[in-house]
Amino acid sequence: MAKGIEVSINEKSFVFDALKQGIRLDGRKLEDFRNVDITLGDEYGYVDVRLGKTRVVARISAEISTPFEDRPFEGLFTVSTEISPMASAMFENQRQSDDELLISRAIEKAVRRSGALDLESLCIIAGSKCWSIRADVHFLDYDGGFIDASCIAVMTGLQHFRKNDITVSGEQIVIHSVEEREPVELSVLHVPICVTFAFFNPEGVEENIKGESNNEIYIVDTTLEEDLLKDGVLTVAVNKNREVCQISKAGGLPMDALTLMDCGRKAYDIAVELTNQIKKLLEADYKRRNEGIQYKLRAENDRITVE
Amino acid sequence: MSRFEIYSPEGLRVDGRRWNELRRFECRINTHPDSSDGSSYVEQGNSKVICIVNGPMEPSSKAEMSTSKATLKISLNVTPFSSIDRKKRSKNERRIQEIVTSLKRTFEQSIIVNKYPRTTISITLHVLALDGGLLSSITNAITLALIDAGIAMYDYISSVSAGFYNNTPLLDLNQLEESDVSFLTIGVVGKSEKLALLLLENKIPLDQLESVLAIAIAGGHRIRDLMDKEVRRHGDLRLSKLANK
Repeated sequence: MAKGIEVSINEKSFVFDALKQGIRLDGRKLEDFRNVDITLGDEYGYVDVRLGKTRVVARISAEISTPFEDRPFEGLFTVSTEISPMASAMFENQRQSDDELLISRAIEKAVRRSGALDLESLCIIAGSKCWSIRADVHFLDYDGGFIDASCIAVMTGLQHFRKNDITVSGEQIVIHSVEEREPVELSVLHVPICVTFAFFNPEGVEENIKGESNNEIYIVDTTLEEDLLKDGVLTVAVNKNREVCQISKAGGLPMDALTLMDCGRKAYDIAVELTNQIKKLLEADYKRRNEGIQYKLRAENDRITVE
Repeated sequence: MSRFEIYSPEGLRVDGRRWNELRRFECRINTHPDSSDGSSYVEQGNSKVICIVNGPMEPSSKAEMSTSKATLKISLNVTPFSSIDRKKRSKNERRIQEIVTSLKRTFEQSIIVNKYPRTTISITLHVLALDGGLLSSITNAITLALIDAGIAMYDYISSVSAGFYNNTPLLDLNQLEESDVSFLTIGVVGKSEKLALLLLENKIPLDQLESVLAIAIAGGHRIRDLMDKEVRRHGDLRLSKLANK
């Protein structure tokens, strides 16, 4: 996949031997997810996610447009994921590689097709006016785990975002500014979290196909180096309600069905943890914002300025 | 929601099958012996797919050549007349591209690619009729055509879809069921329980996944046997022709 980025045979055998002993180069255990550092912007719907060295920014925006003719009661939701060479030299401008395609499809399936955003709540006047929500994902730095990071970014963004309040009278719509009326949040039905597993085969292809040993190694949340060396990959999107929203194992190393089920359960544990982290963060942000308003409205405020 | 009863209380589906029954599976290999190195025709219920394999042959451009292994080229043509609403599907549609990429990565592992360095293997697919199970019927057709072409493979990849509806897993969905039921498609390697391919696009409860996978794997093994029977039938036919000469 990567042009210009190649891992030497020495590095490869080093990573492999370490994995066989259950060690990873960055000191994590095989099933550890990297620390997710989520920063919310001052504006609603701006999220900056750092997953190790990987950095993804998501920006949610809303405008009023017309719904599709065959779906008059639903609003629009688009996720734009264009990976520029800014993230890494392995991505090219204009030309979409197979990996990019799989990344953007995975995000789209996890977030859009699983119905994470309630599209019917975006309808304003059936058949003629609806909200169009757009999530722009920008990939700023790449060290593996784009799917996981961007899924977290988009889902946090959707929960954080507030759209302007509107009033409808007949065919007329009045959009109230933020100062005029408190903006309203989107109705997010569930929070799918993507977890990516990479597979390594220590014993050669013959053993993988014919053998009974099932010694294939799986690791969670790969770094770039591990990502370039992997033999197969599995992405699971799962939410807190124990629903699997998306699984994609597009070829690669054949894996035992029971191992894949294990991956599913691991993904669930990670998803619960991350959902809670996001929830706490959003609550803290809400508190901070509202404290600000109360601070402004306090009577003492004036007295302080007088002094 | 739907006008149809997906799974009746008596345990019957829209087309009269039980939950664990496959659709009619018919396959032929060597259907286009003059125009290709390997060819196959697969009918899975009302889905009909033709697959043509050419190669291993010299790559058309040096850039596609790999010095260590064969490169796979897959082109998938879903004909406009294949489904009820006549719709032209472009080859660049993202869904089609995703299927092609998945197939490429699946078969790169199951073909012994390092046996054919500096070559391309080109696989062309035509979907003549589509009644659910697009990915699974294509995968089965490719496996058969590759075998017919005599390309070295580790094992069969047999593929089938399975869904989950009202606490029952359903095997091998047709178009009607696919639109209402959340389903997954798997590719099983030979008679093992190893999965080369696993795609799920809708919501399934995590705890039910295992039962759906189990029935899908059993269905995959059944399809492998049916494909194996056809390969052996064709082999016997060729052998008897040789003996008569």
